Amino acid sequence: MKRTVPLALTVNGDPVEAQVEPRTHLADFLRGALGLTGTHLGCEHGVCGACTVMIDGQPARSCITFAAACDGAEVRTVEGFSDDPTMAALREAFSQHHGLQCGYCTPGMLISARDVVARLPGADEQRVRLEMSGNLCRCTGYMGIVAAVKQVAGQVAEGVLPPGLPTGASLAGLPRVVAGGVSAPPAAPAPERLAETPAESLLSEADASWQALAESFTVGHPPAEVWRLFEDVAAVAGCLPGAELSEVAGERLTGRLRVKFGPIRGAFEGEGRHRPDPAAQSGLLQGSGLDRNSGSRARGEARYRLEPAGAGTRVSVEVRYQLTGPLAQFGRSGLVRDFAGRLTAEFARNLSARLEGGAGAARPARELDAVSLTLSVIWSRIRRLFGG
Amino acid sequence: MKAAAFDYARAGDLAEAVRLLGEGEGSAKLIAGGQSLGPMLNLRLVRVGLLVDIRRLEALRTVEEGEGTLRYGALITHSEFEDGRVPDAGNGLLRQVGGGIAYRAVRNRGTLGGSLAHADPAADWISAFTALDATLQIEGPAGRRSLPLAGGLLGAFTLDLGETEILTAVEVPRLGAGARWGWHKINRKTGEFADAIGVALLDEERGFCRVVCGAVEGPPVVLAAVAEALRAEGRQAGRALVPAAVAEALPALDPVGRHLHVVAVQRAIDQVFGR
Repeated sequence: MKRTVPLALTVNGDPVEAQVEPRTHLADFLRGALGLTGTHLGCEHGVCGACTVMIDGQPARSCITFAAACDGAEVRTVEGFSDDPTMAALREAFSQHHGLQCGYCTPGMLISARDVVARLPGADEQRVRLEMSGNLCRCTGYMGIVAAVKQVAGQVAEGVLPPGLPTGASLAGLPRVVAGGVSAPPAAPAPERLAETPAESLLSEADASWQALAESFTVGHPPAEVWRLFEDVAAVAGCLPGAELSEVAGERLTGRLRVKFGPIRGAFEGEGRHRPDPAAQSGLLQGSGLDRNSGSRARGEARYRLEPAGAGTRVSVEVRYQLTGPLAQFGRSGLVRDFAGRLTAEFARNLSARLEGGAGAARPARELDAVSLTLSVIWSRIRRLFGG
Repeated sequence: MKAAAFDYARAGDLAEAVRLLGEGEGSAKLIAGGQSLGPMLNLRLVRVGLLVDIRRLEALRTVEEGEGTLRYGALITHSEFEDGRVPDAGNGLLRQVGGGIAYRAVRNRGTLGGSLAHADPAADWISAFTALDATLQIEGPAGRRSLPLAGGLLGAFTLDLGETEILTAVEVPRLGAGARWGWHKINRKTGEFADAIGVALLDEERGFCRVVCGAVEGPPVVLAAVAEALRAEGRQAGRALVPAAVAEALPALDPVGRHLHVVAVQRAIDQVFGR
């Protein structure tokens, strides 16, 4: 049980004090604790606009604003406009122009409309459509809503209706502009970017549902020497940022891959196998896992191949992966590709560093989020394995 | 659709916020406007142990006018740029960009610093401020440091910012009075995240020209060759280089995606010369 926090705010002009769970969003607080069910919940992630209320005189989404963050705020819901002639005119205009059918979106529509007519008196149809685009209606086709808002915006422009809210809610805490004098500390040099190798996929037939990436690099040691590292699956897995092996039994592996993608963290736990082919000096590392928090599933494989390159060795790595579940829905495919690309580049770089210089080649941990999470774990593991 | 349980603390000042983040041992997360983090918490894509609320830190709501520079506090909201409540370092660019982010109800709470720290590639500010050559001011347990935005964006959703560091301000050189800009955003519905963003800036007074291709899979891409051609040879020479420059910088794009980005950048360039 998490701690509740005290909350004191004004709702529709009345002072309210309560203890709330931090995760309670403002809409649930208004509807549940205060019984103000005029505020509706549609999508609950800030897209549909049904939950729009005024906070300190400005429209805001009450579903993605936590109640705890509204301490000291002045909140006004659709129930709180009985003494406002401009809102009364909007209600009348919505009725007159058939600006509602089922009525579910109407409270949010009215709040947004109230802001539009105050901010943009005389707004034309195009402007009204633009300004109201954050409120979705699935019944009316918007014609009536737009006509109603345009009519009242015109009345405000003509001076027939007052633009301001009845309480004269002021915009709290405008930004302060001051003449500077404070000088910035010198900029740190830009961090070295990961080397980008053209993605020349060596896969013969790429299945469209998979994403594929390829990386290659050269190290100054002969293939036979490099191969000895590749036969040690723990060492190879240890070069993949966020990977942790818990068990190795023959070619079967158990472990997890932790990823940090902006604020999103996942830990894909699962199984895999490693099949090295000493004759060809190539191998295949496969795995699949489930992130229990999100219910997302990831599958992936890495193929590697060693080839002589002068006195050294060229190491080619191809990665294919597939992500399904909520995390995949969130990640527009390009974003996941960007992340996997950095992961692959980092894998190649760690392998290269391991082969060239061992643990001493570890780079500063803040270069890649996934790395910063686990690099120290990986390197300590490798040091133990290699007695470094 | 309800967030998983977490603890909540309102920081009284910056030092307390840094301390609280440290005590969270990696499970604490900063919140300001919460317009990106809120939905992700509700969808349970993100789970945190502790939310540290810095929305009321007045020190982060200041704009400092320096010699040829402006420094925006991280808590300036999108609608404050839209409404011209803060001076515009981009000769109107920031006003235009701020007014085009999501919807008014989101712009009233969403902040500049939150958007940059979140580093969603499809968001608007990272492209606009990359074009303006912004430098971020960051506070952490070890003190203050500066980070150029162009090098500090490491990938999608990844700014080079530590778990206990706070982005406090964004400093940009002010465009000259005669500088011109173009901003073109392609999205399927007003207020949605962009499919493609093109930004072009030409400040002949300062000899500064920058062209940015944004809303890509990683950080916004600075098209240096296009900018150089624009500055030295003019509109048509710069415009002609865009398809090749976009293809080279973003080889993984499909033909439709590539075309969208090329068009967005070319239209931004056209705006520079059309106004």
